[in-house]
Amino acid sequence: MKWQFTIITIILFVVVATGFTIESSKPTPLQFIVPAGWPQPVYNFKENPLTVEGFELGKKLFYDGRLSKDGNFPCASCHQQFAAFATYDHNLSHGYNNSLTTRNAPALQNLAWQKAFMWDGGINHLDAQPLAPITAPNEMAETIPNIIKKLNADPDYPILFKNAFGSKEINTKRIMQALSQFELMLVSSNSKYDKVMRGEASFNLPESLGYAIFKQKCASCHKEPFFTDFSYRNTGLPIDDVLQDMGRMKITGDPADSLKFRVPSLRNVAVTEPYGHDGRFFFLINVFDHYRKNMIVGPTTDSLLKNKLNLSNYEIGQLTAFLYTLTDSTFLKDPRFAPPGYTITPPFIHLH
Amino acid sequence: MFVGSQHLLLAQYLQLKFIPIAGNKALVLGDSTYYTALNEPITFRNFLFYVSHIQLIDAKGHTTNLNNAYYLINASDTASLNIQLPVKPQIITAIQFTIGVDSVKNVSGVQTGTLDPMLGMFWTWNTGYIFAKLEGNSPVSKAPAHYVTYHIGGYKKAENAIRIVTLTINNQNKEVHQIEIGANVLSWFSGKTPLSIQINPICHSPGKLAQQIADNYAQMFHLIKVE
Repeated sequence: MKWQFTIITIILFVVVATGFTIESSKPTPLQFIVPAGWPQPVYNFKENPLTVEGFELGKKLFYDGRLSKDGNFPCASCHQQFAAFATYDHNLSHGYNNSLTTRNAPALQNLAWQKAFMWDGGINHLDAQPLAPITAPNEMAETIPNIIKKLNADPDYPILFKNAFGSKEINTKRIMQALSQFELMLVSSNSKYDKVMRGEASFNLPESLGYAIFKQKCASCHKEPFFTDFSYRNTGLPIDDVLQDMGRMKITGDPADSLKFRVPSLRNVAVTEPYGHDGRFFFLINVFDHYRKNMIVGPTTDSLLKNKLNLSNYEIGQLTAFLYTLTDSTFLKDPRFAPPGYTITPPFIHLH
Repeated sequence: MFVGSQHLLLAQYLQLKFIPIAGNKALVLGDSTYYTALNEPITFRNFLFYVSHIQLIDAKGHTTNLNNAYYLINASDTASLNIQLPVKPQIITAIQFTIGVDSVKNVSGVQTGTLDPMLGMFWTWNTGYIFAKLEGNSPVSKAPAHYVTYHIGGYKKAENAIRIVTLTINNQNKEVHQIEIGANVLSWFSGKTPLSIQINPICHSPGKLAQQIADNYAQMFHLIKVE
């Protein structure tokens, strides 16, 4: 009997030990949940499977100033969680050495469904996107070899890369894939609008009136559920004489694309001001006034806007009420997306 | 002993060598002034290009597709000029390769190795690889600091700058051990559409000019030696 017990003990030990080995060398898969009724994402998760370790590494990189030349410009400097990862109040972004960008930092949400990035759609893959702001002299102004050097010199990063990708090697692809893992998880699908659609809440009267007007006058470009159809359109913004931004034409070289910019999502629109590709509209009312009064209709202006967009004061009021239902406070306050180590501690309770 | 055995090992594979030249002499980067077909002076600083999809063709017209590797040939990095193909020396009648990076690799995110975007052969603002790069200075250039910078790429159908090069090899039915190919920088400026530095000192995006320059440099290769 004794030898049988010994053998069983050995087998058990081997099984348990193997279990530990597997656990320590393989990252923990992270589930990506597609909200009910939404289409399948376009991002190829097979090429970059989400893991807890990859996501946490991506978050650390996203908030790390060392990705910029002087340490002052992490991705998060222009992509703030409380602004749906757009920049609060800045029309153009502030970059390295007192520089300005030429466009407004967009919100980062529901990126798994987006095929092309930037206002002009010039970047064709989420993994390749961070290369642009990181290396742009008026943004983070850093080089990839320098970042790899800084990360390798850090006591933690090589281990974090090993935990996420299986070895301590830090390379461009791994940095970008980790950032993508964090960004892909930035899903906003819990606004009041979403709850109404799921039957968990009801619009009040102005909201429901606004939704009806929205569906009639806005939804052909700001298409549900993303509140953008991801197309490029000229909405009649006169060209800024300093920026001289021709938009999509810079990418395609096609004059028909002159002054066209990506239709922005209206999710969380109440917290993503300023608006427009160059952030020229500081308030929602400026946007409405643009559409109904100030538009410049030119040869490439969208056919749906050839006669501008007729909006009454009444309609603007109801539309505003509806747009506010797109604010997703669950997303804006989700502790998973907050800076690493940042915890919102409950107020101190004085017990007497 | 060690060196000898290593030499033997190398000889087991077909060697491909690219030799950067200007006209009929080896290219000297930095301090030599050359004259283009339009008689414009230029000093070169950087000369790089991607070689991929290398194929060997035999007398019967059969092609051997080699591993789909992407080689970055860099005139400033002598190690990059020698490619050891993953095949034994063999009888071939032609070699074919692509100058550039196929569209798949242009739309699949971030790559590693020779395709790592940090090597600078990548447009970050308009995703895509720079297939070939030629940089220098010319007094006739009207660009800032008289720079001349040609960054050529474009994988989309309307702006396709991918070029396939075929070189015929005649080695009298003997096994080919080594192929030396000259890459002439001055060919960038001559061809169907001669390139004028004065008119176009800069090309930084895909499009018509990039395609014209790609047509020119597709003719820059010639066999120097086959053995």
